[in-house]
Amino acid sequence: MAIQAPPEEVQVATKPLLQVQGLTMSYGVSDSENKILNDLNLEVNDGEFVSIVGPSGVGKTTLLRCLSGLIQPKSGTVSVGGEVINGPHRDLAVVFQDYSRSLMPWMTTLENVAFPLQGRGVGKKERNEAAEKNLAAVGLAGQGHKYPWEMSGGMQQRVAIARALAYNARVLLMDEPFASVDAQTRFDLEDLVIDLQSTLGVTIILVTHDIDEALYLADKVIVLAEKPATVVDLIETGFGDHRDQVETKADPRFVEARARILHRLRDH
Amino acid sequence: MKTSTKSLDWGLTTQRLLAIAALLAIWQVVIWSGMLPSMTPGVAALASSIGTALTSATFWSALAQTMTAAVSGWLIAVAAGTVLGLLIGSIRALDRSTSILIDFGRSFPVLALMPVVIMLLGATAQMETVVVALSCLWPVLVQTIYGARRMDAAVADTVRTFQIPALLRFRRILLPSATPFIATGIRISASIAILVAVGVEVLSQAPGIGRQITLAQQAQRWDSAFAYLFFAGLVGWSIAGLLNFAEGRLLKWNRQTND
Repeated sequence: MAIQAPPEEVQVATKPLLQVQGLTMSYGVSDSENKILNDLNLEVNDGEFVSIVGPSGVGKTTLLRCLSGLIQPKSGTVSVGGEVINGPHRDLAVVFQDYSRSLMPWMTTLENVAFPLQGRGVGKKERNEAAEKNLAAVGLAGQGHKYPWEMSGGMQQRVAIARALAYNARVLLMDEPFASVDAQTRFDLEDLVIDLQSTLGVTIILVTHDIDEALYLADKVIVLAEKPATVVDLIETGFGDHRDQVETKADPRFVEARARILHRLRDH
Repeated sequence: MKTSTKSLDWGLTTQRLLAIAALLAIWQVVIWSGMLPSMTPGVAALASSIGTALTSATFWSALAQTMTAAVSGWLIAVAAGTVLGLLIGSIRALDRSTSILIDFGRSFPVLALMPVVIMLLGATAQMETVVVALSCLWPVLVQTIYGARRMDAAVADTVRTFQIPALLRFRRILLPSATPFIATGIRISASIAILVAVGVEVLSQAPGIGRQITLAQQAQRWDSAFAYLFFAGLVGWSIAGLLNFAEGRLLKWNRQTND
């Protein structure tokens, strides 16, 4: 495996918040077996923003479903806070690509955001307050009475993000979250997620096929390629907390990293 | 919401009234032409017999009897069909094991059961209610099963990742997501309820509008037979309209998301 960490990034002795070891996933049995993921290893530290980038169909969504406990890997483990998961976990919240379907059309925005808390037995007053607070955090203060279908795609995705935040999980898993909104909305949402991450300190793992998006958002970019998919590269971006859609993307480090990822993906 | 759907559309109303007027005119012309037996009432005779029916106690009690049997049978079917359907549709093993029974039940001609139910209960209102309930059960049951089965994959994933407990999942996810289907079942079975209630009365002479139609026929009172027919249709039509209205109100989200 070709993991190349820059020399100044010496591995700290703390345990990673999320750890994937030897993850292998396949569908079907024996000779008709279709292997999707092959012996994947990755580590995500507390407070880190990690992008997983790779071409469409490489198995990114399968990986994310393994990480979120929605499917069980054939072999290998996913652990959160040192605990191996065997299903959905309290410390993992997911923002799905298909936001318009993952929000319940029969619930108001507020009810949608408060619903996971209701599932945890939080009282009405408390969960509605938490929902209001998180809606405000994603720029939708006072919009809780609206139904999802009364909102634009970008606003619906904000609601889905607010719902994941309200769940107060330690890790936020995002599956191509901005794939189906227009370019300007996408930039706004990317900047929103960067802000939320730096203010709330939540750990984010985001899956995308867009190399620019992966680099712009993350502290660490994991490149997936080959069939079955495996980690072919790992890049520490080092842009810090302040990012700008124009400046950061013109940064020589950004341009260099993009070329490196493109090469990696082409070689495989 | 668009305001045009709320305010009355006068152009459309005029067109509809014209369509009714045209139908009545054709009816009257057919009567004058002598193509139908001479006993068939014309428009005027029909109108006056409808007026007579409206002021007669027999009519109102017959209507009440038909409605009571139809509505109680229908309500029993809605309650039983919804509960059973949600259970069957959401539990896979139950769904697979019962599907053959349900396919058999829904294709069974329930009116053929009537003689058996008459043997058990006599030609009474209870018998009528039972036959109505048995007829209405299937559309509600089948629709509810479809609705409960059809949970969206994204919704199912969401519910799983947030570890929503079973009871809350049933109440806030399964039930609302199945509601549009349940509503369709309820609407279909409402028209069946009136149809079967009147049919059972015609065939079994249980008291109600159906029996009045038979009595009018036997007494050669064509005009009142037609008047009762008119009311039987009117009742079915009003119920369908009422349910459509209620559905539009309660399931606004469904109409919106399907737009």
